[in-house]
Amino acid sequence: MSAQATDEARYLAAFEAAERNGAAHDPTWLRELRRDAMAEFTRAGFPTARRGNEPWKYTDVRSLASTAFVAPDVTEPLGEIDLSPYDLPCPRVHQLVFVDGRYAPQLSTDPPSEGERASHVFFERGDGPIVGRIAEAAHYDVPLVREHLGKHAGAAAGAFTSLNTAFVRDGAFVSIPDGVSVPEPIYLLFISTARPERPTVTYPRVLIVAGRDSSATVLVSFESLGDGAYFTDAVTEIVAGPGASLRCITLQRESDAAYHVSTTNVTQARDSSVSTVTVDLGGGLVRHDLSVLLAEPGASASLNGLYLGRGKRHVDNHTFVDHAVPGASSDEVYKGILDDDSRGVFVGHVLVRPGAQHTVAHQVNKNLLLSDGAEADTQPKLEIFADDVTCTHGAAVGQLDPAAMFYLKSRGIGEAVARALLVHGFVREVVDSIADDAVRQYTDDAVMAALRAG
Amino acid sequence: MLEIHDLHASVNGVEILKGIDLRVDAGETHAIMGPNGSGKSTLALVLAGHPAYEVTSGSVSFDGADLLALGPEERARRGLFLSFQHPIEIPGLRLDHFLRAGYNEVRKSRDEDEMDVLKFDRLIRAKAKDIRMDAALTKRSVNEGFSGGEKKRNELLQMAILEPKLRILDEVDSGLDVDALRSVADGINALATPQSATLIVTHYQRILDYVVPDAVHILIDGRIVRSGDKQLAAEIESKGYEPVAEAAGLAPAGGS
Repeated sequence: MSAQATDEARYLAAFEAAERNGAAHDPTWLRELRRDAMAEFTRAGFPTARRGNEPWKYTDVRSLASTAFVAPDVTEPLGEIDLSPYDLPCPRVHQLVFVDGRYAPQLSTDPPSEGERASHVFFERGDGPIVGRIAEAAHYDVPLVREHLGKHAGAAAGAFTSLNTAFVRDGAFVSIPDGVSVPEPIYLLFISTARPERPTVTYPRVLIVAGRDSSATVLVSFESLGDGAYFTDAVTEIVAGPGASLRCITLQRESDAAYHVSTTNVTQARDSSVSTVTVDLGGGLVRHDLSVLLAEPGASASLNGLYLGRGKRHVDNHTFVDHAVPGASSDEVYKGILDDDSRGVFVGHVLVRPGAQHTVAHQVNKNLLLSDGAEADTQPKLEIFADDVTCTHGAAVGQLDPAAMFYLKSRGIGEAVARALLVHGFVREVVDSIADDAVRQYTDDAVMAALRAG
Repeated sequence: MLEIHDLHASVNGVEILKGIDLRVDAGETHAIMGPNGSGKSTLALVLAGHPAYEVTSGSVSFDGADLLALGPEERARRGLFLSFQHPIEIPGLRLDHFLRAGYNEVRKSRDEDEMDVLKFDRLIRAKAKDIRMDAALTKRSVNEGFSGGEKKRNELLQMAILEPKLRILDEVDSGLDVDALRSVADGINALATPQSATLIVTHYQRILDYVVPDAVHILIDGRIVRSGDKQLAAEIESKGYEPVAEAAGLAPAGGS
């Protein structure tokens, strides 16, 4: 217990240092939000217990908790960073880049600059999206940020969310005004330099507010430039207004030594549709908690994911769909490819609350095991308290079809490429659920490159 | 081009091929006929390198190389092609991606440059047109939801693109109506070159009305019991396999 106390104490000390250093200009509500979150984190602690700890029974975070991560050194100038490997195959229109948690204006487009321009960016645009920094939005006390930041990923979401909120200073704020459709993808890129010297921690934060009948695609990417150990504690809050249509793709390619814990909370109003696609191609220990609240009738959510396990990678996806009202629908497809000694976990919780009639909820998790050492754990959790509903779930664990392998080889295709093609075929339906051409192509290339790299 | 000597092969410890001898030269078309269970498809699959079949003795040389020492992909790269009796469906793998991967692997093995997507797309469209196949099918998953005729035509498309030296066609007419049969046969004939050879494996004579063989071999119980010209196929068509089997002192396998 004393070891655990020091783990949290390290973060408390870092928190207090950060609050003393430059937090004075932040609005009171933000400082209170952080303080309350730190108190909650200190109270709850890391979920390290190995008994009676249902949400973390497949994922052991003791090594994460005991590693002394430090804040990245922000006094060092950013070196030259070549972003070309991360270019989407379309014009750069809305792109925000953070390197080791620090906003990188030279790598970003549409820079929300100082003074009048910033106030223009945050308050007066009605024709296009706001793609700006949380730090500046907080500085100008943008009402949408005050209204939503931390409200959708509350303390109940867990210690990692609290920890992120305790350190929230910057991040990406995306707002799509009512009735606005954004044709180009909005690209939020979080890069870790992953230097081997000292393990660092960053707290990427994203807030997306989609107005009434608005439409947009957002790609959130986590990339690594090195192979050192670090900890990414990410939180994304998504608010979809009535009739809004939002596609949010998360591409995770952290280093093999990285800890990546992300929490995404989606709140959907009447007739909104939100599609999330979570793609895990990297990381050492990876955990996603994706929660979708279908708060009003007519809301529909699609949750898709694919994860690639290599080496000793551990990828844990926990999803929770809350059918709180009648007449909402959800559709979920997660596919895992597990090789070497990797492990994939999928826990899909669907809650149909009393009175949520005419709910339609489908869930599928399929895993492909490519080695004897790989492991897949899949657990559907359906809690249904209404009687007029359509709910299905399915899970499967299988191996590559030898007949298909032979077919490919009989056309001259060698073992490695044949495997990559078949595995790619297995996950293609997930990639194809990305509607935006450029983001789909980019994701598909990333998946194929990761498959061929093995 | 292909020389088979005393080939024996087993699956799960059961001997299926019991000593096959066969020689096929460039420019020739040979037919292997036999009743169900005689080992026809086994022969085709053994030649293509299917891992489920164990060659217990004998030898096969292909263009002077020891075929049995090569993996299935290497055989394909050297110009051996098997048109499958039952082409498999592969959900998620787009046919054009599959075709391009095979084509480029074959080119790479010959130290030729890989072909890019756009050029290959043109090649596919031209080849599909040649064999009267709807090119839109190549944007779908391999054989998924294809009709029997579309699957066979897809095998033909792969053959057209890979331009093999030795074409082994296993029951290429199964599941085809007479119009589809004629059209697939036209494709087979059109793709033949003086440098290529064809081995047609079939239960029925009817495909041989369209793709005329230089030699016909009757395979019963894992052995070639009789060889002849195309008249032999007509004889089988009218009298069945039984007289040939009896003359060889065998009951036709699978006939009971």
